[in-house]
Amino acid sequence: MTDTSEQLIEALDARAARRSERREFFRTALGAVAIAGAGAAALAWEAEATAQTVTDIDVFNFALNLEYLEANFYSWAAYGTGISSDMMSGTGTQGAVTGGQQVNFTDPVVRAYAREIAGDEIDHVNFLRTALGSSAVAQPAIDLSVGATSAFSKAAQAAGIVAAGASFNPFASDENFLLAAFLFEDLGVTAYKGAVPLITNTAYMQAASGILATEAYHAAIIRSTLYAKGVATPSYRTDADAISNARDALDGKTDLDQGISPVTPSDGSGIQSNVTPTDTNGLVYSRSTGQVLNIAYLTDAAVAKGGFFPNGVNGTITTSADSSAS
Amino acid sequence: MPDPETLSQVLDAAEQRRAERRQFLRTASVFGMAAGSSALLAACGAGDKNKAPTPTPSSSGTATPTPTSSATISYGPTDVFAFALNLEYLEAQFFSQAAFGKGLDATLTAGATTDVTVGTVTGGRQVSFTDAVVQQYAREIATDEKGHVTFLRTQLGTSVIAQPAINIDGGATGAFTTAARAAGLVGSSATFDPYASDTNFLLAAFLLEDVIVTAYKGIIPYVGTATLIEATGGLQATESYHAGLIRSTLYAKGVSTASLITGAEQISNWRDSLDGTTDDDQGIRTDVNGASNVVPADSNGIIYQRTPPQVLNILFMNAATGTTKGGFFPNGVNGTITSS
Repeated sequence: MTDTSEQLIEALDARAARRSERREFFRTALGAVAIAGAGAAALAWEAEATAQTVTDIDVFNFALNLEYLEANFYSWAAYGTGISSDMMSGTGTQGAVTGGQQVNFTDPVVRAYAREIAGDEIDHVNFLRTALGSSAVAQPAIDLSVGATSAFSKAAQAAGIVAAGASFNPFASDENFLLAAFLFEDLGVTAYKGAVPLITNTAYMQAASGILATEAYHAAIIRSTLYAKGVATPSYRTDADAISNARDALDGKTDLDQGISPVTPSDGSGIQSNVTPTDTNGLVYSRSTGQVLNIAYLTDAAVAKGGFFPNGVNGTITTSADSSAS
Repeated sequence: MPDPETLSQVLDAAEQRRAERRQFLRTASVFGMAAGSSALLAACGAGDKNKAPTPTPSSSGTATPTPTSSATISYGPTDVFAFALNLEYLEAQFFSQAAFGKGLDATLTAGATTDVTVGTVTGGRQVSFTDAVVQQYAREIATDEKGHVTFLRTQLGTSVIAQPAINIDGGATGAFTTAARAAGLVGSSATFDPYASDTNFLLAAFLLEDVIVTAYKGIIPYVGTATLIEATGGLQATESYHAGLIRSTLYAKGVSTASLITGAEQISNWRDSLDGTTDDDQGIRTDVNGASNVVPADSNGIIYQRTPPQVLNILFMNAATGTTKGGFFPNGVNGTITSS
C-alpha cells in the first residue's frame, strides 16, 4: 500500500519470483514489459502456452467444485438447507454434504448479507453447470460438520482461534459465520484471479472475470463487516488476521494473504483499513489451482483430498501443490 | 461445454431480456428449481438477481440513448489500458482529495509526449469524517487508486497518456452536483457536496465505483496476453472490493438512515438512464427474499459489464452517442477511446 519507486520495483521483482515459483508459463516480468513491448511478451506466452494442458472445461470444473462448497455453506447458513439435489449430478463421484445448520443470526444486516451471498453462489453453481453441460462434474463429498476433527475445526485450530482439540462451529453465531465466510471468500477471489488467464475462450474468460468480481464484492462485505464490528469487539479483527495467516502458511512461502487489521503508513497520513488485500500496485493476489487446494484440503503437501473435500474434488485438477518447502 | 457461439447467444439473450426477467430465476434457484439444462438460460434469459426498478429518464434532458451493441468494436491493449488510466486518474484524485486533502503528485499525471497538456483538477477537498471507520476506508481506497495509476502508467510506458482535465467539484456548478440533480438526489437548484459529510462521500464513491468495475469487465477481452488478463482481473477485483465496501457500508448505515438506500437507488437509476436501454445497474435495496443487494449482478451471479462508450456516457453525463466531453471530464479523455 506504499508507492515509492524502490518499493514498486521490489514488489514487481517479488511478483516475478512468485510467478516463476508457482506457474512456469508466466515468465514475462509484468512490470518490466510495457505494452509497447507486448508483442514479445505475447510470443513468449504463446510458446509457454503450448506446454499447458488444462482446458477451459478443466478450469470451469475446478471452479465448480469450489462453488459447490460455497453454495452449500451459505445455503445452510442462510436457509437451513443444502443446494437442491438436482444440482449435484455429473461426472466423477457424487458425494454428500456432512453437517450444515441454519445460523440464528442476531444482526439482521448480517442475515441479509448471508441470504444475498447464498443466492449468488447458487447462481454460480447453476451457471457453471449450464456452461459445462454434460461435462459438469458432480458435487464431491463436502465437510461442513462442526466436531473437533471437522474441517472447520481443524482450520480454526490451525489459526489458533480455538484451542487444539476444540471444535469451531461456523453456524453458532454471527461472528463465527463471518469468520468462516472470510476463510472462503478471499480464497475464491484468488482462485478465480489465477484461473481467469487460463481460460482460452474470450467469452468464457469474461464471464469468469464477472464471477471473480462477484466474489470480490462478497469478500468486501465480509471483510468490511468484520472490520466495522471489530471497533467494539477486537476479536473480529484479530481472528480474521489469524485465519489469513493460517491460509498463508498452507500455500507456500510467498505472502499472498492479508488480514484486516488497520495499517499505519510511514508517511504520517493516518491509519487505514485493510478491507482489500492487495500488493503495492493495488492489485488483488492470485493463487494457482494447487495453492487453492492446499487451503481447501488444509495441507501444505501435494495430496488429492482432505479438509473440506474429504474424498477430493472431481475433474482433472485434483492435486494440491507441494508448498511445504520454505 | 457449448461452443463459444452458444455461450454468446446465451449472454446476448441474457442482455436483451434482463429487464423483463428480474426476480424469477433467482427466486427459483433459492427454492430449488431444476438446473443444469442449457434450455434454462436460453428459455429464461438472465434477469437481474434482485428486483430492480425500471430506469427513469434523466431529468437533464439529454438525447437519444446509446446503442449497446459492441459486436463489431475491437480495441488493442494500449487503447484499453489508456482508457482505464483516465478512469483511475478520476478515482485517485477524488479519493485522495477526500481522504488526504491533496491530489496526485505531478509526477503521476504527465503524459509521455510533451504536446499533451496535463489537465487541471477542479475542486476537491478533505472530508471532515465523523465516523473514523469511514475515514480509514477512504484512506485505503485512495492508496489503492494511486497504486492503480502508478501501475497503469508503468504498463503503458512510452504510450502513457497525460491526465485529462477533471471536475470533482462539490459546488453548485460542480460535476457531482450536476449528477446529483439529474439523479434526483437533490433538488434542481440544490448543491451536492461529496466532501460535506460521511454520507455524501459514500454516495459519491458509490457513483464512481460500480462504473469502474463494469468498465474493467468490459475491457478485459481486449488486453491480450494472459499476463495482462491476470493483471486486469486484479484491477477489476480490487475495484470490486472497493465497491462492495462502499455498498455494504451504505446498506448497513441505511438501516437507520433510509435516505442512503433511496439515494443509492436514485444514482443507480441515473446511471442506467445514460448507458443504453439495458438494465445493467442496481441499487442496494433489500429484495423480497430478505436478501441485501450489495452485489449488482445478473441472475447468474455475474457482475455486469459496460463498453468503453457506455462508461463515457455516464462519466460525461450524457446519453447521446458520440459525445466527447462533459461531466467529470470537461475536456474529454485522453487516448484513442474518447467518444461515448
